[in-house]
Amino acid sequence: MAYRMWEIMERSATGPFMEEAEFLNKRIPRKMRDVVKKYGITYDPAHPVPADDGLADAVWQAAREFFVEVGVYNQDTHRVMYFSEDEVDEALYTAPSSYRVGEGRDARVFGWRAVEDPRPPFCIFSPDITYDEVDHLSACLAYMKEPLLDAICSPLLEEFMGRPIQSRTPWEIGGSMEHAMNLRHAARLAGMPGVFMIAVGTAETDVAQIAVSDAAWGVRPSDGRLVGSITEMMTNNAMLNKGAHYQMYGSLSGNLAGTIYGAYSGGAEGTAVMQTAYHLKGLLVHSANFEQNFPFHLKYGSNSGREMLWVVSMFSQAVARNTHLVMDSNGFMNAGPGTDMLFYETAAHALTSTVSGANLWESAPARNKHHNHGTPLEARLGCEVGHAAARQGMTRAQADEIVNALLSKYEERIPDAPVGQPFQELYDVRKAVPKPEYLDRYKRVKEELHGMGVEFPY
Amino acid sequence: MEQVQRLRTALAEGDEDTSTDLARALVEQGADLPAVIAELALEMEDVGRRFERMDIFLPEVLFSADAMKAAMAVFGPELAKGAARERKGTVVVGTARGDMHQIGKDLVALFLGIAGYEVVDMGADVDPLEFIHRAEETKAEIIGISSLMTTTMPGATEVIDILKDKGLRDRVKIIVGGAPTSQEWADKIGADGWAEDSSGAVDVVKELTATESGRA
Ligand code: B12
Repeated sequence: MAYRMWEIMERSATGPFMEEAEFLNKRIPRKMRDVVKKYGITYDPAHPVPADDGLADAVWQAAREFFVEVGVYNQDTHRVMYFSEDEVDEALYTAPSSYRVGEGRDARVFGWRAVEDPRPPFCIFSPDITYDEVDHLSACLAYMKEPLLDAICSPLLEEFMGRPIQSRTPWEIGGSMEHAMNLRHAARLAGMPGVFMIAVGTAETDVAQIAVSDAAWGVRPSDGRLVGSITEMMTNNAMLNKGAHYQMYGSLSGNLAGTIYGAYSGGAEGTAVMQTAYHLKGLLVHSANFEQNFPFHLKYGSNSGREMLWVVSMFSQAVARNTHLVMDSNGFMNAGPGTDMLFYETAAHALTSTVSGANLWESAPARNKHHNHGTPLEARLGCEVGHAAARQGMTRAQADEIVNALLSKYEERIPDAPVGQPFQELYDVRKAVPKPEYLDRYKRVKEELHGMGVEFPY
Repeated sequence: MEQVQRLRTALAEGDEDTSTDLARALVEQGADLPAVIAELALEMEDVGRRFERMDIFLPEVLFSADAMKAAMAVFGPELAKGAARERKGTVVVGTARGDMHQIGKDLVALFLGIAGYEVVDMGADVDPLEFIHRAEETKAEIIGISSLMTTTMPGATEVIDILKDKGLRDRVKIIVGGAPTSQEWADKIGADGWAEDSSGAVDVVKELTATESGRA
């Protein structure tokens, strides 16, 4: 549903003028410091998954006040878009709590979840890293084959016809189309032609996003799209263009927002409040149907550390308790594929997110920046943990204990986490299946998690 | 020098008003301003180190930088009366064409400013030729280009190519950075420097401006 789309778009041209530096360097950090203090939000490292409803509600109140007072900045027009309390209420009330996504037999329900909800999370599989062009189809197929997959985003491309893709050139258009085609092709080959794709990540510009909208070979109205939030609480015309196109084309759109821990919002408290506030930005500015959350650590680019899991838990609980918005929690890990550490990190992230009311988007390994370094197996484990936790009715307190135990296995190694191995070494690329040794490693860690109290359904 | 110590504390706490007051008092007392400024620079370096360890976060750094600016606003006119201020150099920074990722570039710009360089921040998504025009206008010694995507790394190469085509390559140094970049890539495209993070960026700029003045 589009919430007063054109009326709001107009504000980006008519809102009050402000210098960007004033908005970003002064207004954001000051207001954040104020609301964190006013609502008494404090981070407790002992409990990465807090079971404190009052704290979650305080995060929500702080986020709402922050959003209404700070507004959203358009970098192109240098104007601030403001929203009233009434508009926030109206938008929250009218937003659907679930969507039917994908097509035919492969359609699924993507919906709001409660804290400690016994319904399993909706599972989006996606590494969000780039792959060699020759192996891209195989990578897509390997993800498509995952039994718990409800939706897929991407392996990404960085070359098109052997030439580096350069933003805003025909190669970006070509690469984006190839990405969309490979996803659709892989979906058919895997026997799931109607699967919900959130696509395509290779398309960086508004132009390339529009170029892949084609029901015959590309992104269908039944698929999902993303519009990025520029750090922090900012947008620009290209992002507004994307949002407008998605609405009018009919795709479900997600607001892609990653608050940076340690940057403009400060520490864990401000990061949790900002990530919560992004749900309002997505809903009101981009008419987003769901929120794609990836807060990450400034230095490590991950969200599996102790302070980051607390952030993940807090924004998820705040949103799940105070709204019926649809959202997911996207894991960013430190270690790369083929290491036990990556499995532990993904399990901790998935467990934290699931019991806190989020759906899952798993997962970006190796600090989300190493070419070919992502495989479906870590995502599989994360989603299996999510299903298990929901089905067994795990509480936050129980999850907190397990997450603490998992953290003790890896948190010291975060600063120099192993990069691991590329997809091509861990998978049989021609068959798009994991190699036996790799599968053994996964099974061993799964056994270990079972011993820690995760009751896998199978 | 108890007052200088208090001024350092005001910087550490990001207290702009106290910083202005103390700076005024020091001017009235006829303090040795270059020595005071050197002390303040030490404090700011310390702020940078604490941020690197994540003992403090970006807002505290920004508030401290504002307090430093407030003191410098008081000292500036006084210094201008005497000998010319030491000019450390000008750096034009921005993210490559098509790239909206800006926090990494923001950090680099912030810490270069704290280290005493003039920083011309062109923002995100900058046209290659615009980098060059702005560097010419501001007589910058260095252009810093941030690329966060493999697809915008060619944007940095383009700046170097255009400089060569215009016969200006030896007039300005180019430094590059961003998550997908590396020293090898920087060497390959013929950049003069690369750094992993913002403190590395300051070191590279220090190095490049030192060899620059050494040559002059
Ligand atoms: C945050 C983020 C976003 C935010 C950006 C917010 C903002 N305005 O900054 C949003 C959500 C908007 C976003 C959007 C997109 N993103 Co993005 N994003 C990231 C992410 C997760 C972190 C970047 C970051 O801020 N890091 C924190 C800062 C502090 O670190 P840093 O930038 O590396 O900077 C440090 C150093 O590199 C160095 N440095 C930086 N610049 C310079 C310059 C010089 C001269 C020097 C010396 C040093 C230096 O110092 C800095 C401080 O220590 C990266 C993943 C990653 N690992 O980098 C992906 C990533 C860069 N994004 C990616 C993609 C694909 C996109 C989108 C296309 C997604 C989409 N389909 O919409 C869009 C692109 C929009 C566009 N046209 O630019 C990809 C790029 C893949 C590729 N082709 O290479 C990445 C790598 C993720 C991935 N693996 O898929 N993204």
